[in-house]
Amino acid sequence: MNQINPLQIGALLVVVIAFLFFKLHGVKAELVEATESYKMSEKLAVEVSSLKSVYANKKKTKNAINRILAQGSLRAAALDIKRNKKSIKISSKSIETKALNSLMGKILNGSYNVTTLKIKRLSETKASLDMEIQW
Amino acid sequence: MNFKSTSTTIFLDPSSETKVEYKKGEKLSVILSPSLYWVKKIALPVKSVREVKKLLASIFEDTLPAGHYSYTAYKSGDEFLVFAYEDKKILSLLNTKGISTVDIKSIHFAQNEFGSLEGALKINATQSMYLKDEVLVLAPSLWISESRELDLSSVELSKRTIKLQQFGHIVDNKSLYRVGAILIILAIILMVEIFVASSKKDAIVELQDEVFSKYKLQSTMFQNRSTKSKYKTIHKTQTKLREYLSYFLTMNLKKTQKITLIEYKSRVLYVTLSGTSKGHERSITSQLDSKGVKYKVSYSDTSMKVEMKI
Repeated sequence: MNQINPLQIGALLVVVIAFLFFKLHGVKAELVEATESYKMSEKLAVEVSSLKSVYANKKKTKNAINRILAQGSLRAAALDIKRNKKSIKISSKSIETKALNSLMGKILNGSYNVTTLKIKRLSETKASLDMEIQW
Repeated sequence: MNFKSTSTTIFLDPSSETKVEYKKGEKLSVILSPSLYWVKKIALPVKSVREVKKLLASIFEDTLPAGHYSYTAYKSGDEFLVFAYEDKKILSLLNTKGISTVDIKSIHFAQNEFGSLEGALKINATQSMYLKDEVLVLAPSLWISESRELDLSSVELSKRTIKLQQFGHIVDNKSLYRVGAILIILAIILMVEIFVASSKKDAIVELQDEVFSKYKLQSTMFQNRSTKSKYKTIHKTQTKLREYLSYFLTMNLKKTQKITLIEYKSRVLYVTLSGTSKGHERSITSQLDSKGVKYKVSYSDTSMKVEMKI
């Protein structure tokens, strides 16, 4: 007929509740951390994705530059074009300012990574050009 | 082999001087003397013992001296036998007699075990018990002409037993159950909250993994931050380059002033302008100053070279 002291059961329940509170606090902290990490990852993912789509999309950049260079006014300019894996080099020893304006207007209004640029005035209507665009 | 547990039956009476002797570990069945409880035989307009139990405290309200009582009831024909007893008093007597509660197998009321008693039985040096109107009562042995000695060997114990509340005097059962229920409900709420929070966390971690695969991110945040930093620098540089170029291309120049060279390499932009010399560059530099551009100027004959870090 030995019985357990109800105060001991009460104390046990209090200990269990204290443990549960502690555990809940830990889980909630983990939840907050996971939420913050998720928000941070999502923000970073959107930023990286949009930046990469602009500056690291090799195919898109190549096609866009090819379209610009295929324009009639630039074809006549006889540009010297060198392509490699990471970049494209466009140069001309003498280019009409009209064609140069057209080319630079399109390049500078687009999101291209221009790494080197040299435009030298030769006369009222002529200039020389050296430009490298990377992706 | 016989696995049936055997026990020794003893009669517990506060006035008895008989020593209780038993081997440690041996189980005892205890019959409580009528002096250790109050009993009433009553007819009530209820059918079940359960309903009677709710009324017990009020049935004994005016009869009992002050104390902390437990109650129980049994059906007896068309009537009910109702009992009141003090757990603490019985436990204290057991303790005085050297009986440990661990060794007690069952506790019975004498009323239930001697319900069909004929004549009287001596329970201690001065008192005897006998049935009066089906209720077992005590009387001085001197009043009774024929009183036999109490012999427990022939008593067959009923299944009507009670359990003593060892801690009933510390906390009453109702309060105990209430507090216990509140604590258990609180524990359940906490467990549910832990489960919900944990599930949410798991769902978020899963979503994060989906983000990584959806946006084709690299495996670590460090690598991704590094990639972001790289492309952000490119974006900033390219924006600034276009901004600075636009300042020069939209600049108000004098008829004699011309841009002869634009050169950009290693994140430095050089613009050479002819038709201007030292001391006459104010019209150009003031326009750059108004845009907040940081620059260096160098001169050669009739031209000036503006150098800007991008």
